[in-house]
Amino acid sequence: MAAARSAGRARDIRLAYLLLAPTLLLFGVVIAYPVGWEVWTSLTDLSPLKDGSAEFVGLSNYRRLLVDAEFWRATLVTVVYAVVTSAGKLALGLGFALLLARPFRGRALVFLAIFLPWAYPAGVSVIGWYWTLNPPTITAYAPFMGHLKFYVDSALGGGAWAFTSVMLFNVWRGSSFIAVLLLAGINSIPPELFECALLESKSPWRRFRLVTVPLLKPFLALGVFLSITSAFADLSNVWMLTAGRIVFPLVGTHAYWLAVKVGQYGPASALALTMGPFLLVVLLVLFRLFDRAERSAA
Amino acid sequence: MAQVMMKDLNKKYDEVHAVKDVNLHIRDKEFVVLVGPSGCGKSTTLRMVAGLEEITGGEITIGDRIVNDLPPKDRDIAMVFQNYALYPHMTVYDNMAFGLKMRKFPKPEIAKRVQEAAEILGIQELLKRKPRQLSGGQRQRVAVGRAIVRHPQVFLFDEPLSNLDAKLRVQMRVELKRLHDRLETTAIYVTHDQVEAMTLGDRVVVMKDGWIQQVGEPLELYSKPANRFVAGFIGSPAMNFMEVAVAEANGALWLDTTGLRVKVPAPLAGRLGAYKGQRITLGIRPEDLHMATSNDPADYSFDAIVEVVEPLGSEILLDVKVGQSVIVARVDPTVRAKLNDKLRLALHPERVRIFDNKTELAI
Amino acid sequence: MNPKPWWAKLGHASLVLLVTVYCVFPIYFMLVQSLKTPREDVFGNPFIVVNPTFENFEELFERQGEVRGFVGSALRRSYPFLDWLVNTLVIFAGSVAATLVASVAAAYALGRLRPPGFRWWRRAIFAAYVIPQTLLFIPLYQVVNTLGLDDSLLALLLIYPTMALPFCVWMLSGYFQHLPREIEEAALIEGASRATAFFRIILPMSRPVVVAAGIFSLGTVASDFMIASMFLLTANNQTVTAGLGTFDVALDELAAVAGVNLLAIPVMTISALFARGYVRGLTAAMVEGA
Repeated sequence: MAAARSAGRARDIRLAYLLLAPTLLLFGVVIAYPVGWEVWTSLTDLSPLKDGSAEFVGLSNYRRLLVDAEFWRATLVTVVYAVVTSAGKLALGLGFALLLARPFRGRALVFLAIFLPWAYPAGVSVIGWYWTLNPPTITAYAPFMGHLKFYVDSALGGGAWAFTSVMLFNVWRGSSFIAVLLLAGINSIPPELFECALLESKSPWRRFRLVTVPLLKPFLALGVFLSITSAFADLSNVWMLTAGRIVFPLVGTHAYWLAVKVGQYGPASALALTMGPFLLVVLLVLFRLFDRAERSAA
Repeated sequence: MAQVMMKDLNKKYDEVHAVKDVNLHIRDKEFVVLVGPSGCGKSTTLRMVAGLEEITGGEITIGDRIVNDLPPKDRDIAMVFQNYALYPHMTVYDNMAFGLKMRKFPKPEIAKRVQEAAEILGIQELLKRKPRQLSGGQRQRVAVGRAIVRHPQVFLFDEPLSNLDAKLRVQMRVELKRLHDRLETTAIYVTHDQVEAMTLGDRVVVMKDGWIQQVGEPLELYSKPANRFVAGFIGSPAMNFMEVAVAEANGALWLDTTGLRVKVPAPLAGRLGAYKGQRITLGIRPEDLHMATSNDPADYSFDAIVEVVEPLGSEILLDVKVGQSVIVARVDPTVRAKLNDKLRLALHPERVRIFDNKTELAI
Repeated sequence: MNPKPWWAKLGHASLVLLVTVYCVFPIYFMLVQSLKTPREDVFGNPFIVVNPTFENFEELFERQGEVRGFVGSALRRSYPFLDWLVNTLVIFAGSVAATLVASVAAAYALGRLRPPGFRWWRRAIFAAYVIPQTLLFIPLYQVVNTLGLDDSLLALLLIYPTMALPFCVWMLSGYFQHLPREIEEAALIEGASRATAFFRIILPMSRPVVVAAGIFSLGTVASDFMIASMFLLTANNQTVTAGLGTFDVALDELAAVAGVNLLAIPVMTISALFARGYVRGLTAAMVEGA
């Protein structure tokens, strides 16, 4: 019977594609073409420093990555960065959301305070952070910051202070976003369920683990996903806060450095693309979680 | 004011044939109720009349226009939905005025009509509120108000009372009936509740699996059900069914099963002649059973053992075991019956229904 | 429940205080610096400002091209800050508007019209987040050049909405998908066309979720630094973000922090005004959509 789809339905479908067009057009221009370019470039030795057309080199850029110690170091740093910041954001965000879940005097103001780090435009707050953490030597607190930097760097190696400050900034802003997201999630849970749980168990920890967490799962999953992708895509913040003097390269910043400073477009593209499959897996897990939530809700 | 005609109406979805060859003539000013279990096609039929579902086959006429290809807004109908479908961001007044605004009525006329409808429904006080500030019953009234301000040719109701609690439902039912008497507009009303159907409808259409089972006035459906489904669906508590054999003895026909042997009443005997020696289904309504007295002939009475007693005040429902089957009897509240009591019940011979086992049609 | 003991109350209060300080301190710190005179910046207490002044803010609006004096032997430039502000306003407003128009249209298509495979469309659009943006600017540069948009604000109006779209489409379409169809049908019966039903009923009743999408896209747009500094090269064409990135810290620290605040405070205020709606919209979208 599917063939006998009615005229009205056909009209709806045409309209649907029409309405999707602007989005798909933007995606095509801003995402699809560049990604296609990147995939193609990763198979060539394209470089702005080299005359003549790019030569197809097959998978050799990828093969070279596998034996490149720099690549493995960057991967390790990226994973550490993503895991540490995501865990931090999630823990703080969840804590904030739970704090806000119950009424208390001044809750509206505290909510606003928690909302602000995300609402503060990161494009400029990162500038502010940079100057706060790496102040010009004449300011009053510069000696203090200088000492802090010295201690951190000497304990963890050169560049550790910059790297730490990047993580701090990321967690500061991200925990705000996740807190608000989870608060929205908690609001969506019918209060009867909490009251039910109160009758079921006396231990707050058990209630939290058995009721709150499962009900918040889709929100937590969304938070983790956005947190991980933003950690991977967090090129600009890293670049800004460390002013390009990157001692702990992430995959992203390393690729950027390779492309812009060294001019090796091919290897840089291959490097950047290595993150894709990993994120895709994370995304598929997220979709599974959402599907399950949708099914149990139905 | 208009009549509605459905001719060979059909609706097929990809997999499901939801409405099958429905033919129905709804007269001007008539209140017709479509009733049946969920999935019987009643809502789909209504939605085809509204223009919300496309018609797969057949024809719908409203007034003297064939409306198959008309969009809903050009059919001059109004509809009340089960979930009320009020616009949450608009006040009650704006909800009711929306249709008139869409049809470019002048402002004073809109105000007049909304006021009028609000008065009829007793919601003048609520006009400035938003739907979420209203109770279920009030929302229901607003939904009805939104329908009546436009003075449409036909009202369509899709289970409008299902979301109300039992008491409010009875109250709104009475009000809807009064409203229809006052407005005299053709109305098609869909419900799964047979009590609603019986009390509201000038005529009731019973549907099942996409087919119309029977069309008739409420009492006609009750007393002369066309088939076993209608007999079981209309009436509460539902009709008792027992499988019995038709046997001939002593020059008369008898209906026979374990624990029960009743004589076929004279008017039925003629029609039952062809079933001699076969099995048929006997239908007895609970209210057609009573405690046997010395006046009841032995041919129409039988023994039963009480399994459940449900005193309702004005009557008592007894679940009793007769042979292998359990049937319900509705008896006088003065009857004193206890669990496991053995008692003798009698039936009204002329009110007994019998159905063909294969076709399930009334014999 | 029993009334809480004093130590539980105290613990709660200090926790609340700690959280608030953690969240607000960096913002407060930047605000305080921007209100300082150079003298206080060097000799004063870093955490407070004794003699607040707006001279750092005023400095931002000094006429362009004038020499503002020397620090040591370095010449201090002045900046077209007013242009940056205007550009930023145009970019932010334009991007949020474009995001909303495109995402509402797409979400209506996916959530209400449901073309074949709409679930997969929805996922595919959301999946754009897995694409690392690291190197996309190189091919994007070609695209922007081909379109003749180099060093033009329009380039950002093309890129920014695309960054916010996946989440917005996903959230809005989930919400639209679960709106009771009867609401739209009631409007159709009442005499509305499909478009009227959308603009008069669906869109207004979805306002919290649309607001949430708007706030999210504003947050996304305002968080970018990289793209703005890469695609806007001429001083007069830059946004505040890109422009501040060109400041020399050693010379203009206070003015720069003032500039940060000048952009951040309005953006933050707008977001804060809609903060409750943002949460409500997220909740609605998640409950309905997920």
